[in-house]
Amino acid sequence: MQELIDLLTGAGREIFGPATAAFALAAIGLNVHFGLTGLLNMGHAGFMLLGMYGYAITVRETGNMWLGILAATVAAIVFGLLLGWPTLKLRGDYLAIVTIAASEFVRFLGRSQVFKDLTGGSTGIRGTDFKEPFESLSPFPDKLVTIGPFTMHGSRSSSWWLVVVAWVIVGLFALLFWRLANSPWGRVLKGIREDEDAVRSLGKNVYAFKMQALVLGGVIGAFGGVLFALANAVQPDSMGRPTTFWVWTLLLLGGAATVFGPILGSILFWVSLVTVRGLAGWFIPENVMSATEREPFSLVLVGITLMCLVVFRPQGILGNKRELVISG
Amino acid sequence: MIKTLDRRTVIRALIVFVVGAALLTIAQIAVGDSAAAAPAAGTETAIAQAADAAAGSADLTDVEDPSVVEEDPGSPNPSGTTSRPLQLLFNGIIFGLLLALASVGLSLIYGTTGLSNFAHGEQVSFGAVLTYFLTTQQPVGLPFIPNDFVIGLPLIPAALIAVAVSAFTGWLQDKYLWSPLRRKRAAMVQQMIVSIGLSLALLNLLQWWIGGRRLRLTTAIDERWTIGPIVVGRTALFSGLIAIVCLLGVSFFLLRTRLGRATRAVADNPSLAAASGIKVDSIVRLVWIIAAGLAGLGGILLGLYDQGTAFDAGARMLLLMFAAVTLGGLGQAFGALAGSLVIGIVVEMSSLWLSTDLKIATALIILIGVLLVRPQGILGRAERVG
Repeated sequence: MQELIDLLTGAGREIFGPATAAFALAAIGLNVHFGLTGLLNMGHAGFMLLGMYGYAITVRETGNMWLGILAATVAAIVFGLLLGWPTLKLRGDYLAIVTIAASEFVRFLGRSQVFKDLTGGSTGIRGTDFKEPFESLSPFPDKLVTIGPFTMHGSRSSSWWLVVVAWVIVGLFALLFWRLANSPWGRVLKGIREDEDAVRSLGKNVYAFKMQALVLGGVIGAFGGVLFALANAVQPDSMGRPTTFWVWTLLLLGGAATVFGPILGSILFWVSLVTVRGLAGWFIPENVMSATEREPFSLVLVGITLMCLVVFRPQGILGNKRELVISG
Repeated sequence: MIKTLDRRTVIRALIVFVVGAALLTIAQIAVGDSAAAAPAAGTETAIAQAADAAAGSADLTDVEDPSVVEEDPGSPNPSGTTSRPLQLLFNGIIFGLLLALASVGLSLIYGTTGLSNFAHGEQVSFGAVLTYFLTTQQPVGLPFIPNDFVIGLPLIPAALIAVAVSAFTGWLQDKYLWSPLRRKRAAMVQQMIVSIGLSLALLNLLQWWIGGRRLRLTTAIDERWTIGPIVVGRTALFSGLIAIVCLLGVSFFLLRTRLGRATRAVADNPSLAAASGIKVDSIVRLVWIIAAGLAGLGGILLGLYDQGTAFDAGARMLLLMFAAVTLGGLGQAFGALAGSLVIGIVVEMSSLWLSTDLKIATALIILIGVLLVRPQGILGRAERVG
């Protein structure tokens, strides 16, 4: 019985946990890319990792949180421009190839021994090095706080303070996405998604619009990375290709091109991931699947979910089949 | 070919190369002691690394090798610097050939179906992991089966079985996944995301199956010979020869046989090929079988050459494979070959002035440069790709 309660609280915590918010924010960024503009960004984890590094390194060196956010933004803008420049004039899969390559490259650079003094090599940057300025703003008490069945620290790491801030930010960006998607600018992007040539024939600079969308989505992704770093630590290997694919899965699960799709997708994704891991530990005996094998097992399921979603329900849970037919 | 490049694109490409190179060099010098140590302490560590990469041998000989260079000033190549570029060139050619094995299939699949198969890296790992599974003397298990057992086949039969099974997975994939998707007329983007889901599933399946540690395909100690200015390992030499034979076989198939000609026809124009009586679906299935088999073989040879493999060996290669395929021209089988050789050589040679950690960066710079100047690649036809 106690196990069941543990499982339920564990899964329940994922509904509002900081990682859920961080991935929801990253998925909003990807939604600007894919949902609005139809860009196939397969390197979203690269944007997130750059945001993490930009924030963590700047805060570690200067102690100023706002400079850190600025650095994360600038890093994402530069990365977006660099990736968009050669690829946005070409067919969609070139962007996919370059972004997947570039994000792996960011990770390789991060883990490289050459930049060890800056990025901490493959061990990354410890949370204590950069979390202090953010945590010192917390109005919550500096101890464990229990609300209902959930116990978290008031202001350290995965804290109630971070939860509140993260969801406020997610809410703000969801609002921004909603306004943008219904603005003239957003309508041009949707036009590009549906038929690039038609938009070009109306005299719009398609390249510039795509570039703006890529950069904006990338910056939102970088903020998602910063939130994730504040909840955990900066660890280059946590932002590999699989992370990009998670973001894609949860975006397509919730529904691309919708305002609440990324949020719902992120919640469902994390709740089911934790539940599956818990149930696997429960029902499958240890000699058939050890604890270390549960993680890859659950990710195999994520991969299969992604495949099935794309084939059978490309519009996701909230999406409108007429609005978003994946094409190209 | 030169006429089609206008001056602006050339300048853009030059800027990318120069800025990329400059940034990497500056960053390397600017950042910390470890970086300063890398070029300075250069020769011996670099030679050790080069030799390490060169001729897949046991750790024993790795330790030996630099000491030979240091303690033997009277050797024909004092300080070893004269031989280093040549050694790296040789390594690069071998590496390029092995890379070509992996990427030819990727290119063929793209050519005949239009799919950028992101799960191709996992096919490469699969061949290597399966060989390990069949040869190792350590107890291994399968997912969901609690008992561990030892198979312990000799290397060569195990490798043959692994290639055959890899080819079979190609057939399986096409039969039950890609062919139904094509029949459903699923959009290319949709198929691409499916391949990404497949890659995620397979990657984790391999990790679940074999674990995260580094796997050695063979424990035999490698012989190596000094030929002129370079050191040649037996494994490297034989891997290269096998790769050449297989690539010649693929070229012969594509150029001289009826099926190969049909394959090229499908790659050229599927509808026209179908109209002239070619069974497009069977050709595509054949391409999947060949591609998966070659990828498996490439994985095995790379695992031997690098003295080890892992569940994510292929995933790490994906960047290089895509760079090679794009450089050669997406969909051009011979382009993939040329592109792989260029990428292999450049990546290996880059360790002359970059730390080995960063050599993969050159592949990315080439990729971006090619897309700016000649997105259709070396051998691709000039057509509208946007």
